[in-house]
Amino acid sequence: MSTKTPSEDDILRPMHTFTKKYVLLFAIAALALGAFLVGWMYQLQQGMAVTGLSDWGSGGGVTWGLYIGAFIWWVGIAHGGIILSAAVRLLGMDRYMPVARLAEMLTLAGLSAAGFYIMVHMGRPDRMVTSIIGHYHITVNNSPLVWDVTVITAYFVLTATYLGLTLRYDIARLRDDLPSFAPNVGGKQLPDLLAPVYNVLTLGYTKAEDKVIDRMVWWVALAIIIMAPLLLHGGVIPWLFAVLPNYPGWFGGIQGPQFLTIALTSAISGVILLSYAFRRAYDWDHIITDDIFRGLLLWLGFFCLLFLWLQLQQLATGSFHPTTDHADATASKFSHPMYVGPMLMVLGVLVYIFAQTIRPSLFSKGRAIAAGLLVLTATLVEKTYFVLSGFWYPSFSIYDGSPGEYFPSAIELLSLVGTVGMVVLFFLVLSKLVPVVELHAVEHLRGDHGHGHEHDHESVDESAEQPEVEA
Amino acid sequence: MSTEDESFHPLGQEWENELETMLDDTEYDSDLGMQMAEDAMRVTKGELSEADFHEKYHDDVMEEFGVDDRPTEEAYEEAQKNAGGFAEMLKSVDSDGEESRRGMMKKMGAGAAFVGLGAFGASEGGSESEPNVAAAQEGDDTEQDVQWGMAIDLERCDGCLSCVEACAEENNLDRGVNWMYVLDYEDNGVDTSRNRLVRPCQHCTDAPCEKVCPTTARHTRDNDGLVLTDYDVCIGCRYCQVACPYGVNYFQWDEPDITTEDIEAQAQEEMGDHDHDSDVPHDHMSDERGRWVDSRAPRGVMSKCTMCPTRQDGGMGEDAVGTTACEDACPPDAIQFGNMFDDNSDPQTYADNPARGRALSDIDMSVPSADALEDDLDGADDDLESVLEASEDLDEEDLRIMKAIEIVTDDFGEGDDSHTEYEQNIVEAFDALEAHGLDLDSEEVLVGLDLADEPDEDEEFDGPDESAAQTVLVNEAGEPSSNFQLLQDMGTNPNIIYLGNEPGPQAEQVDGPVAYEDVEADLADGSSVPLADNRKEVLDEMTVGDAGVSL
Ligand code: SF4
Ligand code: SF4
Repeated sequence: MSTKTPSEDDILRPMHTFTKKYVLLFAIAALALGAFLVGWMYQLQQGMAVTGLSDWGSGGGVTWGLYIGAFIWWVGIAHGGIILSAAVRLLGMDRYMPVARLAEMLTLAGLSAAGFYIMVHMGRPDRMVTSIIGHYHITVNNSPLVWDVTVITAYFVLTATYLGLTLRYDIARLRDDLPSFAPNVGGKQLPDLLAPVYNVLTLGYTKAEDKVIDRMVWWVALAIIIMAPLLLHGGVIPWLFAVLPNYPGWFGGIQGPQFLTIALTSAISGVILLSYAFRRAYDWDHIITDDIFRGLLLWLGFFCLLFLWLQLQQLATGSFHPTTDHADATASKFSHPMYVGPMLMVLGVLVYIFAQTIRPSLFSKGRAIAAGLLVLTATLVEKTYFVLSGFWYPSFSIYDGSPGEYFPSAIELLSLVGTVGMVVLFFLVLSKLVPVVELHAVEHLRGDHGHGHEHDHESVDESAEQPEVEA
Repeated sequence: MSTEDESFHPLGQEWENELETMLDDTEYDSDLGMQMAEDAMRVTKGELSEADFHEKYHDDVMEEFGVDDRPTEEAYEEAQKNAGGFAEMLKSVDSDGEESRRGMMKKMGAGAAFVGLGAFGASEGGSESEPNVAAAQEGDDTEQDVQWGMAIDLERCDGCLSCVEACAEENNLDRGVNWMYVLDYEDNGVDTSRNRLVRPCQHCTDAPCEKVCPTTARHTRDNDGLVLTDYDVCIGCRYCQVACPYGVNYFQWDEPDITTEDIEAQAQEEMGDHDHDSDVPHDHMSDERGRWVDSRAPRGVMSKCTMCPTRQDGGMGEDAVGTTACEDACPPDAIQFGNMFDDNSDPQTYADNPARGRALSDIDMSVPSADALEDDLDGADDDLESVLEASEDLDEEDLRIMKAIEIVTDDFGEGDDSHTEYEQNIVEAFDALEAHGLDLDSEEVLVGLDLADEPDEDEEFDGPDESAAQTVLVNEAGEPSSNFQLLQDMGTNPNIIYLGNEPGPQAEQVDGPVAYEDVEADLADGSSVPLADNRKEVLDEMTVGDAGVSL
């Protein structure tokens, strides 16, 4: 608890510090990503046989596995992140302003991880560009996979634009305090390599544009809020599965809303973890306050409830008077640890969150973190189970090799570590370049915009201290 | 532009001729049609404005088709009123494929065909750009008058796995890549020897695998409806395998066991001396369009039963057209491959009257040759009894069946499918008998063979009794319990017709009479490799950190 009034210095701190812990974390994350890259190279050299996958049917396995499960998981985190940040801007949920940019960055990181998974999953990633772009005008009419690639690309661009727009404001104001990087290579002094980046980002900036940018951001946020449920995790991603009538566990309209709840729960969890990490690392107790965590937890609880509710729908319709293929698919859910486990985890989190709203003393940041971790684990496992269970219980289940066998190979498991490492690296690098908390948020917390900031501060202090007493 | 052959159309002279024949078949003026088609091409290339085109032909068209011909006039008006003109109109149906294009033409009348045919090759590019030559060269817009498919008689299959082996050998498949798969199953606990399924790719007309493919690697060949995978385009996303409800796809998870060099060498050796079509590459891998769709897949892409495009393209000689490796190899003749659009093809006639098909295939071995009959009958009387007595290889039962087959068959002995060859053998034997003086259509013979009723005194003999003939065949060969397509409710429109028991939703595979591991396939590199039922067991050897457990 250093300063109690948020300041520009606070949000610049990540760029002005360089600690052993940072180096260590960087090294670990790089190692994780590096290890997976080696694994991937081996997979490219040997073929996909290094995975635990096989053909479904007489092939006795599943043809999509952890790679696709993790793909959905990362897209979910990404899409949820952007919805969260858009909601903050659109609905004026100023309370969460300090974490909005983190959520946006999480979107970019998550989309990158998801895109990487698409590559890793392919038998011939080298043909991605020629084969997909070359026939795009035909395949875009039919192939849900093409829709996915399209929408993911579109969202990457949209989010990057969005982030870029809001960054202009900050960079223009904080320009003098932003880091420079002018290495001396072999006795030759290079110019500042970062300056061009900032210059491009703030190209042609004048104060007069702030209002316009505000409006633009608002419209982009509106577009995101509308498109996300329709197209993203409520749309093309679930449609990869939901449009196929030959898999009772996948087919049907419920997957849209179901996927959306998964996206939102995992994204909120991701933001909770990220916020906590930054708050701890840079003493941001007064910026990312306990109040934010309480609020995020409440939202998490709400989406956990929706998540379970939609699962319940599927269990009910799949077991009341099901067709033969549906019966098998649903029966598996009642007994398979990869389904039951995640459901209990989410239920546990839900119970905790509701309990702590009734008895605030039950709240602690540690528990909030645990809730986030539990939900992230639950959604990853559930999504992987979802993918596998399709192949395990297809309508045409005559084959001896069905349900097929599967256990992720070492390389597949390493991909999880690798992509988490990748996302951590993303944040480690980005936080050294640009403020991860918006200047707007600091101004807002200070009451620069005419809010009663005295009062705000009291509550900040209270909430920051309260749990430590209780815990 | 491919104008070397002086054809106005990007599809070339051949297409142009076809177009002309088509127009000849209509009651309208072919010359006018051809001229219009040519000018239509010029419109799509931007050499002629649409207004000029309409101007030029409006009167001719009205005169030719007349005001009374509603569909025709409507079609023409429709084309005119359409904002982009007929090229745009045609473009709008282009992506829906040949069938709907033809459907539209039918719907709109010959007039649409008349004004529009010439533009089809160019429809993709619309009126402002170059005609879609690439598509044209790939043959995307040729007529489909063949749809290869099969009738599979599950009750005749004895589970010997000869077809599985033949497929592996023909295509040099890795162990466990069972493009053709035969399985026994139990349904609701009942296990009869009749519960057996022969499962190649169904070459669906509405193939979901093709629909979901993000690259068009999985595609339907326009001229014959084969669903194929372009190994040079596929990115190995495996979505086709996911979308196919039948589980017939096999991904190439690692480097295939047999090299392309070995495959090519084998192809040169085996295909070399056939009178193969010189256009068809000689490697048993590229088809007549030059796309790599045949034989085992290379690493990282998807494969499945192809229905032997190299054979269908004439690459293995004329005799191999209309056959597949599995069909050739099946000892009990349970697989009939042929053109599903042709009512007289093997699969269609077999599915139409399975008892007849079975009897025909059974009897073929017993049909005596004309020479043998001549020898035997030398000096014998020409009544039925004497003939049967004199000929060594022909007994009354065989003759009854042969005659019964003839009675129930339209166009007996006409055509070139393999069952027609059987019919021709019978025709030859009949000719020999007739030459000897036995009138097979006489009252004496037909009544004698129980294939006609004896007429009452005041009645005239009214020829063979078809239902009696059919009964003879059913009694002899039996009739399958049902005639079905697999997973019909999935909307895939499969091109395989099954005869026999349809597996229910609770069917579960059980061991068959012959184990996969007991059958060996001889591959192009000279090795003999046992088949494998479960591919996962083969692949597990390469899995990194295979824990031997399953989720
Ligand atoms: S059976 Fe039909 S859906 Fe399956 S691979 Fe063959 S054509 Fe495609
Ligand atoms: S695996 Fe190949 S053929 Fe199948 S859907 Fe993917 S790109 Fe198309």
